[in-house]
Amino acid sequence: MAESSGSVNIAEVRAEWIGVEFDWAEFIIDKDAMIQWASACGETDERFIDPSHSDFQAHPSFTTHCMSGRLFPKNFPQIGGGFGIDGGKTVTAHLPIRAGSKLTAVTTIADIFDKTGRSGTMVFIVQRMEFKDETGALVSTVDWKMIKKA
Amino acid sequence: MKVLSYDDVELGDDLPDESPDVSMSKVTAFCTAAKHVFERFVDHEAARKEGFPAAIVPGIMSQSLLLAMIHRWAPGCTVRKIDTVFRGSLLVDSNVTMSGAVTDTDDEARTAEVDLVITAEDGRTGVIGTAVVEFKD
Amino acid sequence: MILDLHTHSIKSDDGRAKVENYCKWIRKKEIPLDGFVLTEHRQYDSESDYRALEDEYNLLILKASEVETDYGHVLVFGVNEDLLHSFDFANIRLPIQTVLNASKENGAFAAPCHPGRKRVGLFSHYARSGPIADVHTVEVFNGGSIPGEDQLSVEQAAIYGYRGFGGSDSHVVSRIGYCATKFERDTITTVEDLVEELQSGSFSPISLKPEPKNTSIET
Repeated sequence: MAESSGSVNIAEVRAEWIGVEFDWAEFIIDKDAMIQWASACGETDERFIDPSHSDFQAHPSFTTHCMSGRLFPKNFPQIGGGFGIDGGKTVTAHLPIRAGSKLTAVTTIADIFDKTGRSGTMVFIVQRMEFKDETGALVSTVDWKMIKKA
Repeated sequence: MKVLSYDDVELGDDLPDESPDVSMSKVTAFCTAAKHVFERFVDHEAARKEGFPAAIVPGIMSQSLLLAMIHRWAPGCTVRKIDTVFRGSLLVDSNVTMSGAVTDTDDEARTAEVDLVITAEDGRTGVIGTAVVEFKD
Repeated sequence: MILDLHTHSIKSDDGRAKVENYCKWIRKKEIPLDGFVLTEHRQYDSESDYRALEDEYNLLILKASEVETDYGHVLVFGVNEDLLHSFDFANIRLPIQTVLNASKENGAFAAPCHPGRKRVGLFSHYARSGPIADVHTVEVFNGGSIPGEDQLSVEQAAIYGYRGFGGSDSHVVSRIGYCATKFERDTITTVEDLVEELQSGSFSPISLKPEPKNTSIET
């Protein structure tokens, strides 16, 4: 890991913030929202678009848009400017998500690193959201790589 | 429709290429469903002001389109994991191509690993990724 | 002997390919590679041992590194303990001269990759900061290039009299071998052999990219 990226010392930011939980949110999984999402994804599999299907469930990527609005922990250092862009998503589907479920999501800073590319020097901030259902079972994990210009 | 079973899948198999509809109306519909309506996705002129060549397809839409492609290739399968890297912009109202290939199989877990790529109209790679696909018994 | 000199595995932050899957893919697809070099980003993977895979698949698997400098990204072949202590491989602002000098002093071989690429390619820095005297070899074919970048690399390499090699820059399994390097020597078996051959200049870049399919389904 490089010592610094711009005015921010990435090694210090890593040491202080990786593993820090900073957001807790609840989501009620709405049937119509599930169908709207799957249809907008170009999905044709009836499990995701037909509520009468015996295995009706949320599209695997459904949780990628479940956000509470908080992007960073309180007092997280300012890295670069602007909102940042989406550098990638990893979704692990542990269990099907059913209509009417109440999911609880906890967000953690999973990684921070910098690199150079066609767009210049960038800092990657990886956030992990873990979604659990009412029984406490882990149903979905989403890792989101946010890219900020250094 | 023939349902692809695990026994039909071999390392090296290609998934059928698809050209998804990333027109402004489709992208706007996605952004509405995602409650993710930013100008860079739904307004060419506003996106240009942000430095993009035109409005761009949201990363999570690209990933979701790939998932739908996998479900069409192997109806009834469960995508256990999908991991996508958004390497470059895919432009709204352009022609993009999604492709995939089986790069590993696991007889015990009855899963296949697939590579995923979305190529932009000008030949750039917009998205790369992998997925772990579990087949029904 | 044909080697892909530029590949990434899951050891790289953006790599999604397992090394064994590269081997399986090469054999299944009958890609005419005799081996490949893992050039992980900003690090040297001292731990992994791929000898069992080499034996099982009859492929040469070597390890190198891709570091980031003020003149773009540079591949370093022949990394050893002394070189690892010469500079911080994770530093994304390494002076290219440091990398070139340290590599030469420690018996390694450093060569800029994707030199035609914006910001992280050597030639984009030449336009602003002038040429580097100690560069003599660059990657002119890169499997991850966007249209025009390799053309620029080839043209500029010719202008400066640089030798050129090829690498796929693959981050997923199915892209290995898109570009590669053909060596005149048939018996490269160690990284020292590879460094020797790169120093000799007896190689040429090749492209093995498959033809695009024209059978996509509109959805």
